[in-house]
Amino acid sequence: QLEQELVEYFRTQVRQDPEVPSAVAAIRTLLEFLKRDQTGETILGLRENLTQTIRRLEEADSSVAVSSGGELFLRFISLTSLEHPDLSQCKKVMVERGELFLKKISLSRSKVAKLCHTFIKDGAKILTHSSSRVVLKVLESAAADKKRFTVYVTESQPDSAGQMADKLQNLNIPVTVVLDAAVGYIMEKVDLVIVGAEGVVESGGIINKIGTYQLAVCSKAHNKPFYVVAESFKFVRLYPLNQQDVPERFKYKADTLKAVEDLAEEHPMIDYTPPSLITLLFTDLGVLTPSAVSDELIKLYL
Amino acid sequence: MPGADKEADLTERIEAFLADLKRGGCGTGPIRGSGETARETTALLRKVTAQARWSSAGDLMEIIRKEGRRMTAAQPSETTVGNMVLRVLKIIREEYARSRGSSEETDQQESLHKLQHFVHLKANVIEAINELLTELDGTTDNIAMQALEHIHSNEVIMTVGRSRTVEAFLKDAARKRKFHVIVAECAPFCQGHEMATNLSKASIETTVIADAAIFAVMSRVNKVIIGTQTVLANGGLRAVNGTHTVALAARHHSTPLIVCAPMFKLSPQFPNEEDTFHKFVSPHEVLPFTEGEILSKVNVHCPVFDYVPPELITLFISNIGGNAPSYIYRLMSELYHPEDHDL
Repeated sequence: QLEQELVEYFRTQVRQDPEVPSAVAAIRTLLEFLKRDQTGETILGLRENLTQTIRRLEEADSSVAVSSGGELFLRFISLTSLEHPDLSQCKKVMVERGELFLKKISLSRSKVAKLCHTFIKDGAKILTHSSSRVVLKVLESAAADKKRFTVYVTESQPDSAGQMADKLQNLNIPVTVVLDAAVGYIMEKVDLVIVGAEGVVESGGIINKIGTYQLAVCSKAHNKPFYVVAESFKFVRLYPLNQQDVPERFKYKADTLKAVEDLAEEHPMIDYTPPSLITLLFTDLGVLTPSAVSDELIKLYL
Repeated sequence: MPGADKEADLTERIEAFLADLKRGGCGTGPIRGSGETARETTALLRKVTAQARWSSAGDLMEIIRKEGRRMTAAQPSETTVGNMVLRVLKIIREEYARSRGSSEETDQQESLHKLQHFVHLKANVIEAINELLTELDGTTDNIAMQALEHIHSNEVIMTVGRSRTVEAFLKDAARKRKFHVIVAECAPFCQGHEMATNLSKASIETTVIADAAIFAVMSRVNKVIIGTQTVLANGGLRAVNGTHTVALAARHHSTPLIVCAPMFKLSPQFPNEEDTFHKFVSPHEVLPFTEGEILSKVNVHCPVFDYVPPELITLFISNIGGNAPSYIYRLMSELYHPEDHDL
């Protein structure tokens, strides 16, 4: 069936290029669907099929970015004047706009890195959490700019972030892996904290790997700046007021959601960090204070 | 030839301005206030628009950017120069967009329209710059007009050093209310003394205190009103040294901290970026050269600025009204275009 093929296509994309953000892989899959789909006869039908496909992809990979990226893609391609009477013409326009969208967001990681690396001073000690490809890009650009700094990475159980430490060592950046529990201990030595985000919510807070909230509270207590780096397709229309408000479909891995009946027994994979603990967010839309996020979000989704 | 004369005249004026900027920022306080710097920069940019040779909006923006880079390089700590250049660039973009209509047009039509509308564009840009100059002239008055809403009778107000804006603010309130002002002298330049003299001439009861006494006196203060050199993009301040102390003391006593700053002081810089921050001047104000013996054994610094984080600030009063620090990002997006942030 077409949907099975698409999920396979998505999985291959992610496997072939581990550097690509999962949202970009999802959007490529949706574009493929647009090109292959023969059954749609009306634009409304097409939209519904696309929404169905996004649901399927969410079941394959439950990260927030796939959900927000998918929705933004859908809005970007369908909110244009599709006045052509012929459906295949409309589809062509949609595919073109889809390609444009894809091109724009492939560049977003470099834009973020360009903005952020000036905030890393020579001799800085940076603490980061788990393995984030955007943070890696930022540290790469800072290293390329001939800055000297050291990095502490948290081990980040249950699926440890050993890979982050290896990649940094390859770039000749001195790196130390610390236990998740040692964050409070190491905070006094550190100059700044940089984390990635799986999703950025309307209040200006972030959804990220479990342990980020702890990190933020600690850095606030020690008065260290807490920076978040995220691409704009991670902006999601949620407004959680506390940890319980984050929808369950994001909290656990896709396989867990399908297999387990009583989710209260499972350990969540992500947590929510409120905006009061965040100093600045670096996105491809610019450097934002948490209060500026909701404005930018509305502009994206309008 | 009149054309060549005009160009030589323009270059001369720009050079004179740059030399003035380089000299102007010495430690005994600004020789010129930031308001005057802003006005001179804008007038100079207007002259450049009127007299330089350009044939399209893109050309004009390149010329202005070039001059802007030279001016900011002359005195990097004087951010109003850069701010005015960014305002003018935004004006050019707006006038260009308006003359082409707000619809999206293709590239071919772009080049045509650029030539056609050239004359109108020039006139429009110069008119808009004139409006900007009128706005600049009225900023201190606009801020002072809001004084009566914020200062009540029998209040004790604290301020630091000397700010022309705060002086006008307090003098305006003094016309109708009776209140007491405590001025921290702000060593080592002690500009607070001049401020106190000016305020007492306007019949305001003034007391001068040493910087070390700020915390001790803070419990008796109702409001703290300060000026600043720059307002940063995250809502923080780059103000005269000693301001962070006042802000922390005010936070401890839950005293509101009000900043009077006109819009031309708003800058798109962030505080943690490299090289945006400090300026050091001759340390002889702190430890005079006559103390030769000590000088060889000790490091003496005399920083000019202080950073105040946005959490310590209650309200910004500017010529367009009162705003919270978390709203600064919005004002910035209205005044400047994001592509111009790096000159």
